[in-house]
Amino acid sequence: MKYHASSPVYFLAAVLAFLAVLIWPGTGFADTDTEPVETEKTFTEKFTMEFRALTYGNLQEPSYSTQNQRNNFLRMPRYLGDIELRPDLRFNVSALELMAKPRMRLEYNAWTGAGMREQGSKWDDDWYVNEWLARVKVRENLFVSYGRENLQWGPSFLFSPSNPFFPDNGRRNPYLEVPGSDFARLVWIPESSWTLSFIVNTEEGRNKPVGPDPFEKIYAAKIDYTGRENYASLILSHKEHTGNTTGIVGGWTVSDAVLLYAEGAITEGGRSLYPERDHSFFGSSMQQIYKDGTALKPVLLTGGSYTLESKGTLTLEYAYNGQGYNDAQADKYYALRRRAANVMDSGNIMTGLSQMTLGQTTNTGLKFLRRNYLLLQYAQNNIRNIIDLTLRWTQNIDDASCQFTTLVTYYLGNHMELFSIGTINGGGKNTEFGSILDYQLMMGIKYTF
Amino acid sequence: MNFQINKHYFIIFVFIFIFCAGVSISVVYGQMTPDEILRKSDEARGNADGIEWEIAMNSIESGREQQRTIRVSARSFNSLAEFLAPANVKGQKMLMVDRNIWFVKPGLSKAVPISPRQKLLGGAANGDIASTNYAGDYKIIDISEGVFNREHCYLLDLTAIDKKTTYDRIKYWISKERLVGVKAEFYTVSGKMFKTAVFEYNNSINVEGESRPFISKIVITNAIIKEDVTTMNFRKVSFKKIPDSMFNLNLLVK
Repeated sequence: MKYHASSPVYFLAAVLAFLAVLIWPGTGFADTDTEPVETEKTFTEKFTMEFRALTYGNLQEPSYSTQNQRNNFLRMPRYLGDIELRPDLRFNVSALELMAKPRMRLEYNAWTGAGMREQGSKWDDDWYVNEWLARVKVRENLFVSYGRENLQWGPSFLFSPSNPFFPDNGRRNPYLEVPGSDFARLVWIPESSWTLSFIVNTEEGRNKPVGPDPFEKIYAAKIDYTGRENYASLILSHKEHTGNTTGIVGGWTVSDAVLLYAEGAITEGGRSLYPERDHSFFGSSMQQIYKDGTALKPVLLTGGSYTLESKGTLTLEYAYNGQGYNDAQADKYYALRRRAANVMDSGNIMTGLSQMTLGQTTNTGLKFLRRNYLLLQYAQNNIRNIIDLTLRWTQNIDDASCQFTTLVTYYLGNHMELFSIGTINGGGKNTEFGSILDYQLMMGIKYTF
Repeated sequence: MNFQINKHYFIIFVFIFIFCAGVSISVVYGQMTPDEILRKSDEARGNADGIEWEIAMNSIESGREQQRTIRVSARSFNSLAEFLAPANVKGQKMLMVDRNIWFVKPGLSKAVPISPRQKLLGGAANGDIASTNYAGDYKIIDISEGVFNREHCYLLDLTAIDKKTTYDRIKYWISKERLVGVKAEFYTVSGKMFKTAVFEYNNSINVEGESRPFISKIVITNAIIKEDVTTMNFRKVSFKKIPDSMFNLNLLVK
């Protein structure tokens, strides 16, 4: 059983706190005996609950690359099973909005199969509140909120460079929830086309930071404009100890069927790790070469979609990741990884050095390792009123590795859906997509009460 | 004798009155330009300052039947649709801010921008659930007369002002008597009719003390596969002041 901020106590506390607010005098639910009809109507209008239960199995084949030879470093399970209960609770009166998403998760992992170093299995349970929110309407156009949120924006599928808070935009697997962080937010709407938000992430919450460094507070100002057939945002953010980032988002409804969009960010410095030659045992090591610098690293993503008469939508995205490795850096990176992997099983002090280096090469702090990426996607929902389908191809142009993903949802009536998410990675062992997993297949059932 | 004269005067007076009344009525409608007629018909389909309604949708497509219940809050050309039923779509939201549309699904991390062409359910396009603004989105290229369900109508031939509209071309029957759209045929750029819609107005709204008919039902039929029918029943119609915050993506709780 996991503790910290994820014990059953927190799960139950969230549910009880929510119910306490509902029965508190003045919220309209305390006088159920006197006005049952009116109270019932008010309750229905003000309180909503959606309850979902998921169970899924996961089969995955680790890639035996220098990052994870014989799975002796990452020790990824071959089979995973998972049961999740996901109630979403909302309460809304004119000036106050409350939301809580307590979660219960029971997980099974199994390490088995030829070639795998570790064998065995284990069960684990996790109780936590993934998101919660308390929002007060100060004026008709001014809102103040605090809570644990998965705060996302931007139109792109591949990743969202303009968002300094979340490296994962949740598009890769819509059945896995992105962990929330704690945010204080102020939203002001001076007029219908313009919105100004001030955002600070006060605690990391469940969203563990990417990269070698601990959580940093980020202060952001976000200006949004929404026009008749276009929208744009400017996001200015400051990381407490690192530097500033300027992000942009823009979208244009070109016609009934065509959307164009772009996202980007320019960051001063950064704490990501880059391979650098030195006099260490491996001849090079992972270093934060831009930690104290003011080098500007642009990341730009541009994309568009076309909806066919037959209802399907084709999406194409190109991303330039200026923070990623160039060819020379990539060569150094893979050479360092190979040298570290070669001494992983030596059993002496070198094993520790190897593990540290492989830990750094796994978690470099970069969203993507290289510089040029393409995404091509076809999505069609409601095929014959029962199937949602998404086919997605992601191409790393620099090292020629690729990832092909299929997402299929099959609706069985009004409550149950079967889903599967299959991913196949292509490319050599010294490529980005070929480094961690060869393939992964997730199949499950979701029931909505 | 005097009585006879008076009787004649009375009959003549009545004839003159009826004639004048008829002429004045026809002058009233006759004085309305085609644009005004179209604008007036839009008012019965939600082009108001703020409105909330619930739509019960039923779609039959390829023999399969599907239902949705949606609560729509709309103002001007903005609308927020919240899916209430069935269970597996409950909590989904679709936000339309003019021509920008975002779709929000519980569990999905962020709102997905979608094109106006993406269908809501069956034959219903996203644009069909929101306020209608044919007067703003389309140009009248021809006006003639027609009859639908034994009702005399203006028959307007509408073409999209730009490529941002849901439909390229519409033939729109507007009742002469009620000034509401009663039938529409929707055409592709190539001139092929792909669906028809029939409108009913059994709801009524009160605007400045005047009771006006308001949309209660739309039946959309596929022009090629006649069995593919989508019915939208509009209920719980209420006018209310809807603030800007309702249509703000930053405040859309997932």
